[in-house]
Parts: sequence; structure tokens; C-alpha cells
Amino acid sequence: MESLQREDRVEQRPLPLKKIETTKNKKPNNKKRKPSKLAVRENIWGYIFIAPWIIGLLGLTLGPLLFSLVTSFTDYNITSQMNFIGFDNYIKMFTADPLFWTSLYNTVYFVIFSVPLTTVGGILVALLLNQKIRGIKYFRTIIYLPAILSGVAIYFLWMQLLSPSTGLVNTVLAWFGIDGPAWLFDPEWTKPALIMMKLWGLGGGMLLYLAIMQNVPKEMYEAAELDGAGGFRKFIHITLPMITPIIFFDLVTSTIGAFQIFQEAYVMTENGDGGPSSSLLFYNLHMWNNAFEIFDMGYASAMAWILFLIVMVFTFIHFKVSKRWVYYESGDE
Amino acid sequence: METYVGNKKKMRIKNFFIYILLIGVSIIILLPVWWMISTSLKSPGEIAQYPPTFFPESFQFSNYIEAWQTAPFTRWTLNTLFIAGIVTIGSVLANSFIAYGFAVIRFKGKKILFGLVMATMLIPGFVTLVPQYIIFSKIGWVNTYLPLIVPAFLGSAFFIFLLRQFIRTIPRAMIDAAKIDGANHFQIWWKIILPLIKPALITVAILAFNGSWNDLLGPLLYLTDENLYTLQIGLQTFKGQVSTQWNYLMAMSTTVLLPMILLFFFFQKHFIEGNNLSGGQKF
Amino acid sequence: MKKKWTFFLFAILLLFISGCSNDAEATNADGKIELDFWTFWGSETRRPIIEKMIDDFNNSQDEIVVKHTYVPWGDIWTKNLAAVAAGNPPDVIVNDIRSVALRAENNQVEDITDLMSDGLEEKFDPKLWETVVHEDKTYALPFNTDTRLLYYNKDAFREAGLDPEKPPRTWDELKEYAEKLNIKNGDTYEQVGFYPGWGDFGPISWMINADDGVQLIDDGEVKINTPAKQEALQWIVDFKEDLGEETVQNMSAEFGSEQQNPFINGKVAMWIEPGTFFTQLDQFAGDMDYGAALIPSFTEETGNWSSGGGFVLEIPKGAKNPEASMKFIEYMTDVEAQTYWAENNFDNVANIEASEKALDNLDGKAKEVYQKTLESLEETDFSTVPLEYPDYTDLVNPNIDDALQGDMSVEEALEKAQKDVEASKRETE
Repeated sequence: MESLQREDRVEQRPLPLKKIETTKNKKPNNKKRKPSKLAVRENIWGYIFIAPWIIGLLGLTLGPLLFSLVTSFTDYNITSQMNFIGFDNYIKMFTADPLFWTSLYNTVYFVIFSVPLTTVGGILVALLLNQKIRGIKYFRTIIYLPAILSGVAIYFLWMQLLSPSTGLVNTVLAWFGIDGPAWLFDPEWTKPALIMMKLWGLGGGMLLYLAIMQNVPKEMYEAAELDGAGGFRKFIHITLPMITPIIFFDLVTSTIGAFQIFQEAYVMTENGDGGPSSSLLFYNLHMWNNAFEIFDMGYASAMAWILFLIVMVFTFIHFKVSKRWVYYESGDE
Repeated sequence: METYVGNKKKMRIKNFFIYILLIGVSIIILLPVWWMISTSLKSPGEIAQYPPTFFPESFQFSNYIEAWQTAPFTRWTLNTLFIAGIVTIGSVLANSFIAYGFAVIRFKGKKILFGLVMATMLIPGFVTLVPQYIIFSKIGWVNTYLPLIVPAFLGSAFFIFLLRQFIRTIPRAMIDAAKIDGANHFQIWWKIILPLIKPALITVAILAFNGSWNDLLGPLLYLTDENLYTLQIGLQTFKGQVSTQWNYLMAMSTTVLLPMILLFFFFQKHFIEGNNLSGGQKF
Repeated sequence: MKKKWTFFLFAILLLFISGCSNDAEATNADGKIELDFWTFWGSETRRPIIEKMIDDFNNSQDEIVVKHTYVPWGDIWTKNLAAVAAGNPPDVIVNDIRSVALRAENNQVEDITDLMSDGLEEKFDPKLWETVVHEDKTYALPFNTDTRLLYYNKDAFREAGLDPEKPPRTWDELKEYAEKLNIKNGDTYEQVGFYPGWGDFGPISWMINADDGVQLIDDGEVKINTPAKQEALQWIVDFKEDLGEETVQNMSAEFGSEQQNPFINGKVAMWIEPGTFFTQLDQFAGDMDYGAALIPSFTEETGNWSSGGGFVLEIPKGAKNPEASMKFIEYMTDVEAQTYWAENNFDNVANIEASEKALDNLDGKAKEVYQKTLESLEETDFSTVPLEYPDYTDLVNPNIDDALQGDMSVEEALEKAQKDVEASKRETE
């Protein structure tokens, strides 16, 4: 987004731009080309390329999105009623629903800890797996494994692993003389338990980093080696800047994803009730209960749009700040 | 000569530490997986034992066969493969195409449209679930694979954003050079960009296949004919109202993993091949 | 590389062809009405039973053909909701017995008052019948139900010097026996007599039991912070303090994954589960000698209140063939089908005659336990979802947890719960 903004800024200053174009772009073979004509052609190309997405947006996504925005001002119950009730849902959320604040707190807690940890973890593991050593493909497959595992089975598996006295996690901790907590049964430890689970499954993020690391030209490393740079310096000065576009991507999407955490809590707490002292009642779980347990879809929609605003602020900040640290080989565009 | 030998020694020590780390991480990852496999080989009686056993007392490989036979799993596997295969192709083609538009071409309204792409990611799916179902129902797509497959060809915000990031790591000069040679955007996308972002495309392929393979809610909502069901729905049959058949559930969960492990294993080697293509030629 | 891709494409094409070959569902040629019936009974044990019943119905007449579709537990109702909203729901669905009125209020289910045969009401357990009636209209027929029993380990009773034929009848006895049944080895328990927070009977159930069956929302009134309920919660808190936080947490966690049961493993001597727990005992408990008893009463005067649930058969709003669907539902809730279900699943059913028949046909331990479930059903609370406070449990539970954790006193917790719930009141039409 930040590049687009820059581009627009350039367009908003027509005079200097033209000056630059006329002075700088004279040499290519397009003397006759009027900038506007090229721009029109580029516009058409642009729309052709994003056409599939536009079709999907208009045909499938936009309608339901706007519909949910409208219903957030009603008492919509999914099947029959839909009366306009103004801002009642929003007012109730902030003034009369104690669980709204609980769920927001739980979710923000989860975001703050899980996002940085999985990002740093993903990069480190990808670095480890980017080595050209024998058998690396087996290690890659193993470490990616948790990302493939999904469904109810894996959550129940973790419930066993986190068992306070016989579970694997506390057994291992006991080897180091640590008396492990009761994890999913102690409100203080439920969220850390879930974050640990997320860390175990960071193979997905690792994959992205591994992919972008392939884009770093070998020659850059070779040149650095000639200059006597060690592994750490190579990482800081070459790898890290080159993978910033994906770090940025990972941060943005995993923040969005963490705000929407649902499945784990839904399966691992009885009937999706949010665990001991509601410590696992995440935002989306509370929303789900409102929408599908008591059919208050109007309220759920209002919650969704408040979440939308919250996450949008985060995303916006991410994009703004990214200008300072994300490096694109393609330059500004 | 001296330094060369020294380097080699250094490399060996470095590799040794890397191996130690990798093995450590692998053990952490594999222990839970072992738990799953171990449960899949136990008898129901042994699973009910307390404390749980780490190794099965007797290996009940028959769990795998019996679990497979409790429902039409062969058919459901083929269905899932079909859906996931098409979704994968659609995701790679459509998203790279759309991402190229957003990353390379300058057009009016791009900023707002890309903002919209991001915005569609921010709304939790629950609240659009019902209206979306109604749309698919009205156009007669319920109980077909179309609601699961067609959206993959229309791009997803996550992949568009991902590939846009990858494409933007490619030096602009390469694209400009191709333009000067008279190539249009379509040709540049197909002939230059796609080969250059092969690791990214493989990533998208793996993630898309993965997502489709593990999708429960989509098939569950849109398919009503049991012949069309997928593996993830099949896995649910082991979770009963009163009790769960843990040995079968774990056996099928393990079986369901295999195709994806194989897929990943064979795809991941292209990460290395991709290395030579990207950047290498130009610099 | 190219070759591999073409091979991949080819393989997919093949799959597509194989996928299409027998998709086409036979549209009924002989003019029969075809009904779509959704259940979540897809397991190896339940599926054959429900499908046999459907077959029997299909063979019993020649106007209607019912097709069974398995939809996974939980998600089945989300899917149904979407389908009702889109106007293409199934003809008949299995749904939760506690929330019939909520669905009726929200227009998700057809009113069957005028469709059903006369005198149906008499066939069903009156408590269950109550759940399907909302504002004098009937919206479903009850299908199956359950109730909790106290299972106790007779061997452990003997070892502790207790009479194995005299299970605890009141809370005081329960506590007394529990202490006698505790076996400690140093600081850790080898056997715990009883803890009210384990098993399938939560604090809310104890509170209702103590209040002699008065629910948390009783006839539209919030009755959470009552003296009896306070006492009940305090009783659990005391129990927990006696056993120690760690013992309770550890044991709760050990068995949270649903794979091992501490009663079967001899770690806990008394344990509350539904009647169907018998099938697990029968399969895994080996030669353990056990008995089943009613839930102990709060005092000599109050009832042995247990908690229960169950499922109904209903016609989703907008279904195409309500008359035919009703015929099918009536068949499924009639004596023959219900007896078959009860016997084969060891489940409690809604049809009174079928329950009695099933009891007659059982023998031995099975009969003994089944008999107890029938007794227990007389005083079982179903806590149907109150329309004014549909989400009251979400608001009450965290407060109860806080009291159990010791973060709040019992009085504070219930007072707060009462307030939170009262503040959440919704307008109903």
C-alpha cells in the first residue's frame, strides 16, 4: 500500500512529474507516445489483470460484506426478523456485555505474544532449513508437518500432551527440574498453552521465509564472503533486508489471523464455552456463540465490524511503518 | 591451502551445530506426531488405560484397515484429491495473475482496490457465511463442487498479497527491459515473472492444496450428497455422540496426512532449483 | 517439469470423470415423495441402527422414501440454519431438545400442531413433551433423552468398609463416603472418593439439585443467588479445598482428553455420567464390580435431581413436504422404532411404552442400570434455554470458576452472576 501512496503522491504533483518525464524519458523509442495514452493502456491492462478478483468481489464477497454491515444495525436473527435498531448493538457491546471486554482482552493478549514469537521463530527455523546440507529435505518435511496437521484430532492430541502430571510437556519440563503448570486447567496458563501450540505449528510461516530466501542472489553472499563477512553479518546485511517484504507480509497476515483465532478455543474448551474463567473466550468465539447459539446475528455482525476497525488500525500502522524498514528490489513501484 | 582446510573444518563444526539444532527441533515436532501414531496402533482397551502408554503394547495395524472400511473412504479420498487439485491450479494461476496486476502495472484506483483486497481479509467469515450460502443456493450451486472450486479461480486476498510481495522483490529493470523488447504484460507475466517466482508459486500451491485438503466447513456447508463428501467430513464420523473411536480417528488422521507429506516432500526440492533461476541470470 | 504437470492434469481429469459417474441421485421414478433426513449419527455403532429404522419405514408404506444424510455433530445445525435462511432445508432434522422454543421463537422450525395425529402427547414422557411446546404450539417430537447417574465402585466400597449395596443418598452421606474412600500415599492420592466438579455433572447441576429442582432461570425469573445455590457452590469449594487445588486440577486435566476414564481406571470411586456410560463400563471395566444410583439429594426432603438432555425430530422452516415428514417423524417416535433404538444404543427414549419394552428386553447389569435411568428421569432437569436469557450460562460460568479458583467468595460470585444475567435480559415478543 505504501508504494501506491507514493505513486499517487507523484501523480498529484503533475508539473514536476511532466518535467521529469520530458527530460528523462526522451531517449527511448517512444517519442510520439503521449503519456496519457500510455496511461490509458496501462489502466486497461491493470483492470484486465485484476478482473478475476473484481468478479469475485462483486459476485461473491462484496454483497455479503455489505449485508453484514447493514445487519449490524438490526436485530437480524438469520431466519426471519430484521428490524432496524440503530446503534443498539454497538451500544450494548461497549456498555452492557461484560464478555465483550473479556474476549477482547484475551484476543489482544494472544495477538501480542503469538505474532512476534511465531514471526521470529519462523525466520530462525527457515534460516536453519536454508542450509545446503545432506538430508535437509527430510528436516524440512518434518518441520512443516504440524502445518499440515489439522482438525479435531490434533487439538485432542494437545490436550493430552498438556496434561499436568502425565502429559509429555510437563514430563519434559520435569527433566529440567521444572514443575509445569496445569496448562488448560489454570486460567493463567491457558493462553500460553495455546501460544505454545501455535509455535509448534509455525511451519507455514517458515515456508514463506524459505521461499523468499531463494530469491536472494547467491552472488551477493559470495561478494560479502570475499569481503570477509561472517554468517551473522551476512544475515543482517543481506538476508534480512532481502526478506523484509515477506516479514512484512507475515506480520500483517498473522496479526489478522491471530485476531481471528477461533478453532483451537472452540474445540479445546467444552462446548466452546471459553475454558476456565472464560480465559479462552476469544473475540471470534464470543461472536460465534452470539451468531449460532442464540441467533443474534445482528449483534455478531456489529462485533465483526468493530473487529474490522481494530484490525484495520493495526494493518494501517503496519503499512505506514513498513515504509521505514521494508526493502523492495523493484524500487518504489 | 591452509585457509581452505581451515574453512572446511569450520564448515564441519558449523554443520555439526546445525544438525544438533535440526534434530532437536525435529524431536519437539515429532513427539506429538508419535503420540498420534502410537494411539492409532492401540486397541480401544489400551487407549482407555491409565496412565497412557508411550508405545503400544501390541501393534494393531488392522485399525488402519478397519477405519478405512467404516465408510466410503476411497471415494471420499478421490473427491478430496479432485477438489484440492483443481483448487491448487486455480490458486496458482489466478493469484499470480492478479498479483502481477497489483505489483507491476500502474493503473487508476489501484491504491483503493488493493485496500479493498486487504479489507476483505479483515472481516471474520462467520458473518458472511449465511449470505454467501444464500448466493450459492440461489444460483443452484449447492451440492456441487462449484462453491469450493470457483472462488479459487477468482483470487484470495492472502495469496494476492503474498505474491505481490514476491513480485516486488524482482528488479523493475527486468520488466522494463522486456517492455522495450516489445513484450506485453501478459507475456511478461507468463514468461518472466512466473519462472522468477517459482519458489513462491510452489509455496502457494502447497498452501492452497493444504487449505483445501483440510477444509471442513466448506464441504460440510455446500455438499449434501454423501457421495460427494470429503475426507475431513469422513474424519468426523469417528467422533460420536457418546464416545470417540480414538484408534480409528488417529489412524485415519495419520492416513490423511500422507498425501500431503508426499506432496511437500517432492515440491520442496524446487526451492533449491528455484535458486538458480531467480536473480542469478541477471546479476 | 512440463511432463509432470500434464500427468498431474490428466490424473485430475480421470478423477473428475470417476467423480461424476455416480453422482446423479436417482430422481424418484415411481412418483414417491423423497425426504431428506439429516442426522449426526454417522459412527460405526449408531449409523446402522438409524439406517435400519429408516429402511423399516421405507418398507412399511409405499408413498414416501427417506434418504439419510450424515452431517457432523455441531456443524449440522450451522448448516441447517444456512439452509433454512436460503430456503432449501432438509425435510427432517435431529436437533437439540433444550432449545426447541428458541428455534420456534426465531422461526427456524415448522409448527406441527395441526399436522400431527391426535393423542400423540400421551405417548411421551410429559417432561420431554414440555420441551417441544412453545406458546401452546408443538414444534417437534422428542426422540431420545438421557439422565445422569452416580456410578460407584463396589470393590472400593468393600475395601473402605462401606456397604456396597448402600450408595450415598444425600450430600452429607456422599461427602462422608468420599472421605472414607480416599486413599492417600504421602501427599498424593491413589484413589479419590469423589469430587463434585468431575464427571458429567457441573456446578450448575449441583446448584439446581440443592434448590430442589429450581433452575437458574425459573419461569422467566433469575434465581441464581438463592441460599440453597450458595450452599451448593460453597459445598463444592469446600470439597476442593479438602482435596487440594493441585489434585483437583491434575485429575481434571488427566481426563479432559476424553480417552481415559478415572472411574474405569479405579482412580476415583464415585463418578457421575449419563446412563449410556454403561456401554463403556461394559466394554472396558473388566471384572470391576460397580453399581449405579440416583444422584444424592441435598437433604432428606429434597429430590434426587439429575440433569439431562436429548434430541428431537423436527421439520425445519420452509421444508417442502411437511405432511410426509410428519408421518416419518411419528413412525420414528412410535413404539417399534423407539424400542429398537433404545435396546441397541442403550439409550433412553421419549416414548414411554418403548422405554418399558426396552427394559423388559434387557437383562443382568444392563437392566439394573437402565432401571435406574428410568427412575432418575422422573427427577431430571432439562434446563431448556430461556428466551429472555438465552446465553445465561456463558455469563454464570466464569463467575462460578472464579469462586472455585478462590478469586471471589461464593456470595460475591453468585451475586455478580445474578446481576450480569439480569442485565442481559432480552425483549421477547
